[in-house]
Amino acid sequence: MDMEYIEVKDLKRKYKMGKDIVVGALQGVSFTLKEGSFTSIVGSSGSGKSTLLNILGGLDWEYTGGIYIEGKNIKEYEPNYYRRYIVGTVFQQFYLIPSLTVEENILLPIKFQGKRERDINERLEYLLKKVGLEDRRKHLPKELSGGQAQRVAIARALIDSPKIVLADEPTGNLDSKTGESILNLLEELNESEDITILLVTHDMQVAKYTPEVITLVDGKNV
Amino acid sequence: MVRMFEYAISLVLRRKFRTVLTSLGIMIAVMLMTFILFGMTDLKTVLLSEITTRFNPQDLYISGQDNMSFGGMAMAPSKDEKKKESKILTEDIKQEIEEIEGVTSVEPLLFIDGLEIYLENDPVAYPIKMIAASDLKGSHHIFKEFYGEKEELGMYEMYVSKYVVSFFESTQEDIIGKKVLAKSSSTGSFFASSSKSMIDKEYEFTIVGVVDTANDAFWISNDTALEILVDLGGFENSSDYLSNIGYFQLYMTTQEGKTKEIEKYIDEEMGLFVISSDAILSLVDTFTAGLTVALIIFGSISALVAAIGIINTMIMSIYEQTKEIGIIKAIGASNTQVLVIYLIQSMLIGLLGGVLGLIVSFSIMKLSDPIVVDMLSSEGFVQIEEFFHFQPLNATIITLCSILIGTLAGIYPSMKAARLDPVKALRHE
Repeated sequence: MDMEYIEVKDLKRKYKMGKDIVVGALQGVSFTLKEGSFTSIVGSSGSGKSTLLNILGGLDWEYTGGIYIEGKNIKEYEPNYYRRYIVGTVFQQFYLIPSLTVEENILLPIKFQGKRERDINERLEYLLKKVGLEDRRKHLPKELSGGQAQRVAIARALIDSPKIVLADEPTGNLDSKTGESILNLLEELNESEDITILLVTHDMQVAKYTPEVITLVDGKNV
Repeated sequence: MVRMFEYAISLVLRRKFRTVLTSLGIMIAVMLMTFILFGMTDLKTVLLSEITTRFNPQDLYISGQDNMSFGGMAMAPSKDEKKKESKILTEDIKQEIEEIEGVTSVEPLLFIDGLEIYLENDPVAYPIKMIAASDLKGSHHIFKEFYGEKEELGMYEMYVSKYVVSFFESTQEDIIGKKVLAKSSSTGSFFASSSKSMIDKEYEFTIVGVVDTANDAFWISNDTALEILVDLGGFENSSDYLSNIGYFQLYMTTQEGKTKEIEKYIDEEMGLFVISSDAILSLVDTFTAGLTVALIIFGSISALVAAIGIINTMIMSIYEQTKEIGIIKAIGASNTQVLVIYLIQSMLIGLLGGVLGLIVSFSIMKLSDPIVVDMLSSEGFVQIEEFFHFQPLNATIITLCSILIGTLAGIYPSMKAARLDPVKALRHE
């Protein structure tokens, strides 16, 4: 439990903004996280939070430095395998497929792997119960409130039982009461599922929910 | 794979109207291809059946000159092929052929061209200025059907074809016994130049039978034809005509199994032009195959246009679904899986177009079949009850081709989708 589960070493990411302009979005971020930890990454706009989350989520591989999970460099994974089984990501805008029902959205990651439906049904039922959407399973995203949509996104991120869940401003599009219920849900999942949660936010009130906080300023952690 | 297929179907069904509109392009191409492939196959079957019923495999046609390929119009010979010199089909040649072992009969054919042909009391001339002559009986299989009492033609007696009966708006019963007038014309005809000896000539025939032949509308006996040809050409007598001009063709039958051997002998040893049923069948084969290829090339242009339509729609879909592609990539879809999902979509559009095209084509074919059968029957094709037939092999080929077109058209858009950067795709508005 106390071993260093995630190790981020001197992470740098540069973007070319024009012919000669290079912007360093991350300029040497380093930190470690323990297994089953619940951590916030806070920072103002432009601090590099989203860039860090894209890299940790396996969406961006153009970085230097290293990310190690249980001592293994994530570059050793196939990108899609990493995104499927190692991390689950929850986005601020939920990113649900409008034409799919709650149940189908949660099961969407399964479409891209070989797991049998009956093997996953138990997990689906468990997650629907956990996020409190059992009676909404056949509803379309447009029939859901913001909080319910975010719960669907959380269930989708957890369907493959990833070791790590990344949440990008998960309460950013929600009112404070709904946001609070989402944070409570994440906290509960952190404990019951024993997953490592890394939450990115600009809101210090949100960061207070997590026992650990990493602050980013101008692409560096302070 | 099944789940990706389901997902691709859900994407296609999400845009039903656009999918149907896009598949219309393929549908039109498939309809064209269906009409071409099915129509040509059916046409070939009809032609072959017509030929095999009119010509026995043991029949051979002999000519002294290369008039077998419609004067070179159907198959223009090369200089090398044209080495053979023209010969006059004289009585001696006819006898020589009769003496070949395995020859059962030799019937000379003559041809009168360039006379205006009228039915008595009718001022309108028949459009074709040709009279064929032979001593074949009315019951001979070359005529297919015969109506009349006289099975052998006497002097200045004539059989007319069903065409003539319908042209002169008469019936088989009424036309028998009527007179036919053949008058010389100063204009000659398409096939025969006019000559001085043709001026003011007029011959009268009595119709004694109606036959079913596709092209030759009037038949008279060889003796009658020779008398007219001698008169028209200014010859002394029929021997003079036959030794200088000769028979137009010799129609011969052979014993079974001897046809090839005799054909070869007449061609190589006697230096005459000979055509067999096989050669006619192969000419039909070549003709229909060539026409099919030419039409398929035209049809392919519409397939190309349809493919461009699919590419356009798929690119538009991918633009609209950019964020969704970002989402599925973010939750673990690989580039290959995205590629496959979009290829399945374009393949489905192709399949839909193919199936719709086949259904519409067959409906049109079934509805128009009686009209086509009527038209062919009125052109002298007698063996037809149904023209269009469902051909499972061609239908399968067409469907597979439409799926292939859809898939090929989807390659570029699918690769574009697969290569999308998930971060940029998620930011797409």
